[in-house]
Amino acid sequence: MPHIEIEGLRIEVNEEGFLVHPDEWTEETARLLAKAEENLDELTAEHWAVVNFIRGYYLEKNLAPMVRKMCQATGFPLMKIYDLFPSGPAKGACKVAGLPKPDGCV
Amino acid sequence: MKRRKAGPSGVVEAPLDVRTQALAKEEERPSVKDGRLRTYEPGDNAARFLDLLGRRVSRSLAVSLTACVHCGLCAESCHYFLARPDDPTMTPVWKADQIRKIFKRHVDWTGRIAPWWVKAGTVRNDEDLNRLKNIVFGTCSACRRCTYNCPMGVDTGLLVRFTRGLLTELGIVPEGVFNVSRDQWETGNQMAVTEQDYLETLEWMRDEVRTELGTNAVDIPVDKKGCDVLYTINPREIKFDPRSIAHAAKIFHVAGESWTLPKWGWDQTNFGLFSGDDKLGAYVARNVYEAAERLRVKRIVISECGHGYRSTRWEGYTWAGYDQKLPTESVVVTLKRYLETGRIAVEPSRNAVAVTFHDSCNIARSGDLVEEPRDVLRRVCADFREMFPNRRENFCCTGGGGLLSMAEYRPLRLEVAKIKADQLRATGAMLVCTMCHNCIDGLADVIKHYRLPMRVVQVMELVSNALVVPAESVK
Repeated sequence: MPHIEIEGLRIEVNEEGFLVHPDEWTEETARLLAKAEENLDELTAEHWAVVNFIRGYYLEKNLAPMVRKMCQATGFPLMKIYDLFPSGPAKGACKVAGLPKPDGCV
Repeated sequence: MKRRKAGPSGVVEAPLDVRTQALAKEEERPSVKDGRLRTYEPGDNAARFLDLLGRRVSRSLAVSLTACVHCGLCAESCHYFLARPDDPTMTPVWKADQIRKIFKRHVDWTGRIAPWWVKAGTVRNDEDLNRLKNIVFGTCSACRRCTYNCPMGVDTGLLVRFTRGLLTELGIVPEGVFNVSRDQWETGNQMAVTEQDYLETLEWMRDEVRTELGTNAVDIPVDKKGCDVLYTINPREIKFDPRSIAHAAKIFHVAGESWTLPKWGWDQTNFGLFSGDDKLGAYVARNVYEAAERLRVKRIVISECGHGYRSTRWEGYTWAGYDQKLPTESVVVTLKRYLETGRIAVEPSRNAVAVTFHDSCNIARSGDLVEEPRDVLRRVCADFREMFPNRRENFCCTGGGGLLSMAEYRPLRLEVAKIKADQLRATGAMLVCTMCHNCIDGLADVIKHYRLPMRVVQVMELVSNALVVPAESVK
């Protein structure tokens, strides 16, 4: 199984770097995913605003939110999401929030 | 961070994952319940496969199945083989032979008379079919570079799609392909975007452009009758990356275009092309054509998308048995017309960094749109440079054929992406431009994996950057 090993912790991820067990997500996991996949040394309050919203939406609806919803909930303009997560809303933000890979052309 | 490396047989042995199929059955999802989408049932699938094979072989398929002389030229054109030159199972001819041998054994007379002579073979059980699934879905991006270079005219891409289609009818498909097909059958778009979300995102982008240009004259019309242009898009643009919709709205506004998006039939992508399911292909394409007819537009314009362009512009009319009455074109052709007729003006110095262009397989090789994007880029960029090889000989982004949605094949995909990475690196460009959403993600994966100092952009973004907004447009 592919995995991320960082600071002594081991996280199982799929071939695309998304969590294998999305329910095992913790804030610590988010930090490690952000480091390994997005090269972010730390998650700021702005990162957390996006991540927590995505996480909550996913737990409620079992679905990745549209980027429209992310911006509505956080009040950030669209470009801000790309500034915060270089790989974008799907492969960046959703990954850090511990979601499985969204289906389709992404 | 450690990644699993695919051995020669690693991909071929990937198991059949039917968890989402089982869930779809349990939830009585409409597409599964009414049989539009087949799920896997253990049993005598080999016999059903052979039966389907016998009934589906067409004349053009028979030519590709019989004309191969095993010269091996296709090997040199395949990025899988070029990256793994010691692995004969990576050659297009080997992959095609996996279906060819079954055809020889069960359909062609040569295999019935002398099976040993023509190397005839068969499938005996579900394990064999699963292995076949992994070969046609997992070791080929259906880029058709081998087809283009075959001296006998063998269309290996067609054979791969045909085999995928037979397996899809038995539910022997990668999970990602099943999920997207399910959503496209049930919601009319591949990302299950609801109508409300669709309309809200369009309004949002309209407001963004209004703010950017400082005028409320900008509009993103939906279901407006009698326009010149019906604009159709990729659901990815709605769900995750609507910047391209804002670019389109801005450019259409400045060009004074009479345009609309449809409320239904707006998804120009088509997983039927990837899964080989002509019925899904027909359904999705027909939605677009019927929207155009309903709204009485003069032209269908397809946003920057490779497989969507091929499906909607070329294959869809055949799948749907639909009489083509309207011109159907890529938005890049529309942009080219704007530039040539002076409907928009651009300032190329605003795109000052070096830009190279990646031809999408479905647009260049399979869509015959080669010079048009270059004509546009030369006008909007100060430093445009070709990558080599280019045009119809370009290498796949490695994410084609639906491979982006099949995570299980990713390690092999990224391994063979070495060819693409070398090609990109040699250009020295900082931006790689492509007119395909699939290629955006495919190339972004290659760039990240091989740590290339470049970024992916689309033609529309560069045109929008360079666009000169005249005073009368912002009144």
